[in-house]
Amino acid sequence: MNAQSAHVRVEPAQRLSGAGLMVRALERLGVTTVFGYPGGAIMPLYDALAGSGIRHILVRHEQAAAFAADAWGRTTGEVGVCIATSGPGATNLITGLANAMMDSAPMVAITGQVGTAVMGTDAFQEVDILGMTLPVVKHSYVVRDPADIPRVMVEAFEIAAMGRPGPVLIDLPKDVASALTDDGYFPAPDRPVAPELDAGAVEAAEREIQAAERPVLYVGGGVGLAGATRALRAFAERTGIPAIATLKGLGALPTGHPQHLGMLGMHGARAANEAVHDADLLIVCGARFDDRATGRLDTFAPGARVIHIDADPAEIGKLRAAQVAVTGDLGATLDRLGRTAPAIGSWIARTQAAKAAHAAHYDAPGDDVYAPALLKAISEAAGDRFVAACDVGQHQMWAAQHCRFSRPRAHLTSAGLGAMGYGLPAGIAAKLARPGDEVVVITGDGSIMMNIQELATARRYGVAVKILLLDNSRLGLVRQWQELFYDRNYSEIDLSDNPDFVKVAEAFGVEAFRISLREEVGPGIERLLAAEGPCLAHVMIDPEHNVWPLVPPGKGNIEMMHHSFKRM
Amino acid sequence: MIRTINCEIDRAEGSLQRLIGLVERRGFHIDVLEMEAEGNGGRRVALGVRARDSGRCFDVLGRQIDRLIGVRRIAAGREMAV
Repeated sequence: MNAQSAHVRVEPAQRLSGAGLMVRALERLGVTTVFGYPGGAIMPLYDALAGSGIRHILVRHEQAAAFAADAWGRTTGEVGVCIATSGPGATNLITGLANAMMDSAPMVAITGQVGTAVMGTDAFQEVDILGMTLPVVKHSYVVRDPADIPRVMVEAFEIAAMGRPGPVLIDLPKDVASALTDDGYFPAPDRPVAPELDAGAVEAAEREIQAAERPVLYVGGGVGLAGATRALRAFAERTGIPAIATLKGLGALPTGHPQHLGMLGMHGARAANEAVHDADLLIVCGARFDDRATGRLDTFAPGARVIHIDADPAEIGKLRAAQVAVTGDLGATLDRLGRTAPAIGSWIARTQAAKAAHAAHYDAPGDDVYAPALLKAISEAAGDRFVAACDVGQHQMWAAQHCRFSRPRAHLTSAGLGAMGYGLPAGIAAKLARPGDEVVVITGDGSIMMNIQELATARRYGVAVKILLLDNSRLGLVRQWQELFYDRNYSEIDLSDNPDFVKVAEAFGVEAFRISLREEVGPGIERLLAAEGPCLAHVMIDPEHNVWPLVPPGKGNIEMMHHSFKRM
Repeated sequence: MIRTINCEIDRAEGSLQRLIGLVERRGFHIDVLEMEAEGNGGRRVALGVRARDSGRCFDVLGRQIDRLIGVRRIAAGREMAV
């Protein structure tokens, strides 16, 4: 062997643009799908994306990209990714970032930025997106050096997913995206080890459970996020403790489970609100005492002690003091609790009696479509593959009250932020993430108009979302409040000049049809679910139909308003 | 009553803004702010804060600050009468 042949061949370091390095990072982090909209400052990234194996879903408004990424994260548990250019592209993401922050959805948003030399000079399409988004992200970065990209990307994905998930923003100046750099060293993602459970707190919680006479299991969205569904169900079943759910907690315990009393809160079930009011112990799992759930805090669960189990220590004691707090792994905590079933037979019987007495009725008089019955029927027809992607308004509350949910991550709803326009892009993302699921976008005539352009996205990619558009030609929930609390002073809620939604959908190339009468509901559901591509059912409903029950503003949850069916 | 909070935070873009923005958004006035660079790539920040109303819990604020990415250490300091 001569000296020349003994040389070890050293490959020259591969040179990539910063944008190329970012795309490589996305690939290494396992990202398969991103949602975005190109523009000037983000063009280097789009240049690099074109040669990658990553599927880019071109939405028609950046807000939809953010909602879609949020829904991808909620559906899969992976980090959803959205991309926008600087300036208006970036600002259009903000509602989606806030949505993901409020509802703890894992998400990374990448924004283009003007070149570093002109940052701070009011350059074309320049905004301080880092500063503008600080309150609505878990963390954020401006990348000033392309060599930082691997570290920033790995950190961002870790931060978005770890503990209580949330959105992370990465702002990428155009010159950094364009600069050539070595293919960087990608640090191995940390696998954070869950902190040891506080054995003393767990024991204290167990003592509380055994001593309680009227315990209630309070199920929040954190159960699904923590992957603690199995542990929750096992705990519920070995203890027999009655359970209620927050809007985001629906499905962790199947809504058809005998122990599930219903959703609590403003539009919650009377049996659920009564149980919480009369409880002497709340076992709060992954919930944050949102005001829509608690009503007036000073009248909420007045006789209850609280065990609060949550991944986020900052939620403990924020709104309601906890006698026992356990922070950390929710599933592991629940597995150690309820070793003996508490003797609460009479309490269980009482809550079951209330559940039966206040069960919803679906035999509304008349020939009009009765939305609660329709929603119940479509969720039952779709079965365990049912995923609801809800917008915001009356339809959202009816869906929460009446749809059947048998698993977490199957109820996509803008719970904390209440962002109209969430439903359609969320549904598209959910269907792309889980093509085998039956994804139904439940929307209203107000909400659909907030992101109706995404019909084009559904059509372009052949995403078979089923859109159930409940049209009362009003901003229904606002109308309801004006009727009940503003002396029927109906102000700016009339949408009776809506476009013909069937024609609109068809103009986008989406199959559509109308349901006007109750007798059309059954065949309509069948047709909608059987459609092979995206399909919209435009359902006419009574404009004066309200969501019941209702806790009036400023009242405690026990002061619910009810109604009887309006006789035709 | 003014309570003091002593933090050490990363010297990273937006880190100070993130900290003081959180304190104000969560319902506290900032009456005192002192900052100096540390040699380890960090910043030492001392805040004197006062609750806007009686519903604001200082301990919860501390935990909210503690969960910010880039906050290395936080300690509650002395109380001072206004």
